[in-house]
Amino acid sequence: MRVISRQAYLILVLLLLAAAAGGVLYLGSRPAPTVQLSMQLYPFVGEEALELERGRYANPGGDGVFKVRDFQFFISNIRLVAENAVFQEPESYHLARFDSEDGMFVIGLEDVPRDSYNHIEFGIGVDPAANGTITSVGDLDPNGRMAWSWDVGYKFVLFEGGLEVGDTRIPLVYHVGFDENYIQVSIPLAAALFERQEATLDLCADLLQMFKGEHTVDMSTLSNVKFDRGDARMLARNYAHMVSLCPAD
Amino acid sequence: MIRVLAIAATVCAAMAFVFYSGVFGARAGSPTPLQDFEAPFVFGRFQLPEDNPLTQEAVELGRRLFYDPRLSGNDSVSCSTCHLQRLAFTDGKPTAIGVSGRPLAFNSMSLANLMWGPRRFFWNGRASTLEEQALVPIQHPDEMAQDLDVLVDDLAEDETYRLLFDAAYGKISPASIAAALASFQRTLVSANSRYDQFLRGEITLTEQEELGRRLFMAHPDTKASLRGANCIDCHSQFLTSGFSTRFDGFANNGLDAEADLPAGLRGLTGKPEHRGLFKVPTLRNIALTAPYMHDGRFATLEEVLDHYNEGIKVSSTLSPLILEASNLDIAPGDRVSLHLTAEETAAVIAFLHTLTDETFVTDPRFSNPFPTE
Repeated sequence: MRVISRQAYLILVLLLLAAAAGGVLYLGSRPAPTVQLSMQLYPFVGEEALELERGRYANPGGDGVFKVRDFQFFISNIRLVAENAVFQEPESYHLARFDSEDGMFVIGLEDVPRDSYNHIEFGIGVDPAANGTITSVGDLDPNGRMAWSWDVGYKFVLFEGGLEVGDTRIPLVYHVGFDENYIQVSIPLAAALFERQEATLDLCADLLQMFKGEHTVDMSTLSNVKFDRGDARMLARNYAHMVSLCPAD
Repeated sequence: MIRVLAIAATVCAAMAFVFYSGVFGARAGSPTPLQDFEAPFVFGRFQLPEDNPLTQEAVELGRRLFYDPRLSGNDSVSCSTCHLQRLAFTDGKPTAIGVSGRPLAFNSMSLANLMWGPRRFFWNGRASTLEEQALVPIQHPDEMAQDLDVLVDDLAEDETYRLLFDAAYGKISPASIAAALASFQRTLVSANSRYDQFLRGEITLTEQEELGRRLFMAHPDTKASLRGANCIDCHSQFLTSGFSTRFDGFANNGLDAEADLPAGLRGLTGKPEHRGLFKVPTLRNIALTAPYMHDGRFATLEEVLDHYNEGIKVSSTLSPLILEASNLDIAPGDRVSLHLTAEETAAVIAFLHTLTDETFVTDPRFSNPFPTE
């Protein structure tokens, strides 16, 4: 009896040890907590939600009303910055456009390690390294609508539409590119954003900001911007302030 | 940059084989992934439908079907009747003529590099895959006027077809007919024009062609002293097709005034802003594919350039990129014109001729597999 008891005791100890080891292994192998971040980009023209083709908006610097046929721009190199950590999205080139049924653009960031990120950073446009290549990465496509040609690079921001002043119809073509107009944006974040497993970040893109800087642009006198470096630079300085946190309801 | 291009272009992508061999390896007695399929790096990415990978068997079968008049109700018209290889798979007619003898509404489109560019087929974009497209002309009463069930029965009586369908898809069905035709058409890659050779760094263009290339690739900007023919606004720099994203590969290029504007893409989407928009075609082999436009209204490239230079008709959906483009300062309300010189339009046409690919139009892999009398 005594022998059997000792054997049973040994087996019990071994079982407990095995269970403990298993527990430690399980805890160690559990994936670190991550967050799925959905960046939702809503287009506006000043205070009004952008409605492609059908919306009419006042010329910011002059007479007439304008309509928007297309509004697209690149968001590149998204980074989430915490005190001691940075999450950088790989192959991060997104062409924000607003012609889907719901009129907004969503960028999903998967498996973001949970941290107290206090800023989101991204570029408006395409960084000079990527702008000088013809490789298809993310939404960069050298055969795409945003490509000018291989020796010029990409359009960073595209707005095409028309201005109606009385009976006169003026085509609007704003294609802004060039390396110097790649603008880096940093937006502060609320620390609580990353406490849940699925987080949503609402950003508003205001097209009108492109035309409101040191001088407000009259679309009837500057109805197109393409390759003139000075005009492009002016619009780029303005679009640096185009994307921001949506105001709380 | 040219050097980078040349290096990049030499890295040819046998991507279809690498990517899809995995899918096939899992199926016992499965068809053979296409071995020698490649495309230039500069064409960019492409996707194949998961349920119709490129295989040797499917392509062989599709080629036979493409050239077989039994696909039509009266055994007189095959796909190749309106898509002749020597004309880069067009037919030289303003609009196609099928079994009924009545001219159709649209010009026969060239079949080249179909895996790139707009992901919609037909001039008005009404098919979203090549598989979906393939069965439409077969059944259209004016084109091939064939009943699909009858066609399946006809093909099943043919020993060669029984073997080919068995090897490629396991059975004869409308879906496998469409899949085979789509597979063959996906192999129709045109990538050895003088422009391709230029991109690969193998040749230089003549002075006139180079002027034309530069004009092709530029939207004019008088303020920046940049002259341009504005082609690139719709025709991408390497593919020369329309853009692949959403409906970006469709445009109203000023052919008709408001009152005569046809439905175009609006027929598919119902959106008024899509009225009069048609698919932007590839310009590969464009010198061989006259007449031009969706209704074949222009007989020559000179007429096409004249249209863009001084024949634009204004309508509510006309692209602002066309309305605005001029090589002279123009005021709102002035006649729309690119204001290119005769020397410049000639240069653009010279560049368009560099897109002709003799290899493509003589490639025996794309030719009629039936012995000709």
